[in-house]
Amino acid sequence: MSGAAIEARGLARRFGPVVALHPLDLDVPAGRVLAVVGPNGAGKSTLIRLLAGLGRPSAGSVTIGDDGGDRRARRARVGLVAHETLLYPTLTARENLEFTGRLFAVPEPARRAAELLARFELGPVADRRVGGFSRGTAQRVAIARALVHEPALLLLDEPFSGLDARAAALLEALVRGLAGQRTVVFTSHDLERAARLADQGLLLVGGRGRALEASVLADPAALTAAIAPPPGAPA
Amino acid sequence: MSSLDRLAARAVRPTGVLLAVAAPVWLWLVAQAPLDSVQGVVQKIVYVHPPCAFAAYLGFACTAVGGALYLWRRDDAWDRFAASSAEVGVLFCALVIATGPLWARGTWGRWWSWDLRLTLTLLLFLVYLSYLLLRSFTEGSERTARFAAVYGIAGLAIVPLNYLAIELAGGRSIHPENLQRGSLAAGMRAPFWFGVLTALIAFAHLLARRLEVSWLAERASREAAAGEEALPWGT
Amino acid sequence: MRVLLAVLAKDLRVEWRSRDRLSAMGVFAVLVVVIFQFAAPPGSAPETRGHLPGLLWVAWVFSAVLGLNRSFALELENDAWAGLALAPAERGWIYLGKALASLALLGAVQLVSALAFALAFDVPLSAVALPLAAVAALGAVGVTAIGTLFAAVAARTQYREVMLPLLLLPLLVPVLLGAVRATAALLAGEPLPWPPVRLLLVTDAVFLILSFVCFEYVLDE
Repeated sequence: MSGAAIEARGLARRFGPVVALHPLDLDVPAGRVLAVVGPNGAGKSTLIRLLAGLGRPSAGSVTIGDDGGDRRARRARVGLVAHETLLYPTLTARENLEFTGRLFAVPEPARRAAELLARFELGPVADRRVGGFSRGTAQRVAIARALVHEPALLLLDEPFSGLDARAAALLEALVRGLAGQRTVVFTSHDLERAARLADQGLLLVGGRGRALEASVLADPAALTAAIAPPPGAPA
Repeated sequence: MSSLDRLAARAVRPTGVLLAVAAPVWLWLVAQAPLDSVQGVVQKIVYVHPPCAFAAYLGFACTAVGGALYLWRRDDAWDRFAASSAEVGVLFCALVIATGPLWARGTWGRWWSWDLRLTLTLLLFLVYLSYLLLRSFTEGSERTARFAAVYGIAGLAIVPLNYLAIELAGGRSIHPENLQRGSLAAGMRAPFWFGVLTALIAFAHLLARRLEVSWLAERASREAAAGEEALPWGT
Repeated sequence: MRVLLAVLAKDLRVEWRSRDRLSAMGVFAVLVVVIFQFAAPPGSAPETRGHLPGLLWVAWVFSAVLGLNRSFALELENDAWAGLALAPAERGWIYLGKALASLALLGAVQLVSALAFALAFDVPLSAVALPLAAVAALGAVGVTAIGTLFAAVAARTQYREVMLPLLLLPLLVPVLLGAVRATAALLAGEPLPWPPVRLLLVTDAVFLILSFVCFEYVLDE
């Protein structure tokens, strides 16, 4: 598995009169890691959720791998780790994973769940209700959940927020491990980390996106220059 | 500006003119119409009550169809059409509900009876109200449009079912006999059908105006939102 | 469809863990029956007792609304909703899974409250148990079919608990009229009449098809 390429053309999202995402062109080759950075409210979550196929774009199109632009096919290729865990608190970790497996028509949900529980070292808590988990543990289950159907693209929305140093380090290692096998897109406020982990970057400000080299992300001067509106655009 | 909005804008003046011409003619016809031997002058409500009912039902059909077209085409104009049609239609529906008891009280001495057609229209009125409440209390214009469209379709599907249901419950039809079978006395047919025509013209005119206003409001809020767009960091 | 069964099993399992829906619905329905007891105690005029089928169905409908509200409240926690929306499956199956779960719960509540009803109002149910169960089931299908669709809608509006009855009650008129008429006939000792049952069948079919198709649009962001 080498991941799926992302191709977006004129991708935009409007909520009534407010434009959350201005038409965006995006190209991410298969297996790369893309970091999406920008201030709060810039449209990062909107972009992530559009890529996941959760809502219809107001304009433009996005293709993930060979899905042909069809949203249902896209959902089969994408795994999302959102800000919320998407887990049922009264079910155990194992039950959550098995349910997701069945929901995504995975061939042997119970075995797949056991596999993921082992891989993420969730054995000790596998049969405890998710409602009682710490943020770090819950997030591990959430990531396992996103990987149940072996998606070619993994999306992570602010995954590092609220994690302690150790959990963050583990997550970084995971992202590095997945790169090459899958395409990964994550959003972050931490520019240094973004520069460290990513192959390419996307800067979103006020719903407008600018593609950047990953190395630029950690360079304040270059970044400020990048934020300045291009000539001709409204200030 | 969608083609539907263009049509509405162009329809406002002609329908207004038609209405300005039709209304006095109708009033004159109603005044001239012979008095019913049994019911007296109260019977003249027949020139208001059923014509408004035509408009009320047409209104809801437009709302449901507009919603369905929105879901299919994802053109905001159809959603505004559905919303405008509901607002205008509910007025006519209220008129039907208001004039019904007036007529009944004048003829049979009772304010209300669970008569088939009146009950059906009352139920339609309730669906209209719920539709408008749903629109008010949903956040996000795209979500509102989708939810309202689904409710509109359900509401339309209900109409034939309700007809069967009320008939089953023995909706006593003390309603005057089906007017289309020509049971109206000769001198009454012209004002009656002219009344229906006038009501439909009034409906079309109000709908066109309301749709035009909704388009202007949308354009205004879009411009306001563009003006307020978040400025980049440090500005 | 496996997705349907997965959603159904999940809903029932979650419910079993907390049992809050079942207890709320059950207690509510029984309470209503008990309170109606004061409105029409045994020995009151036949005309008052003629309203009993209607009262029973009102209790069931409001109990169903209570349960339906909670059916989607559980999805809003942790945005589990998005988990469902992300599935590549045909969304209509997710709808059916949830609708069946609500139907199962409503059925259980109907059974318990019917017994309470029989005791409180001294109504002999054993003679008509089977046809009554059929009518109760048909009515329950109608309520949960359209109710599940609009519970999903109401859950994402403001005033969500109030929104659902507002949306649902006007739409439930055909179900109520058919069900009450059939129930009244049965309780009066008449054989099961065909017209109300036919109305219920048609309404149920319309509601199920409509909801199956429209759920796609409701589950989006």
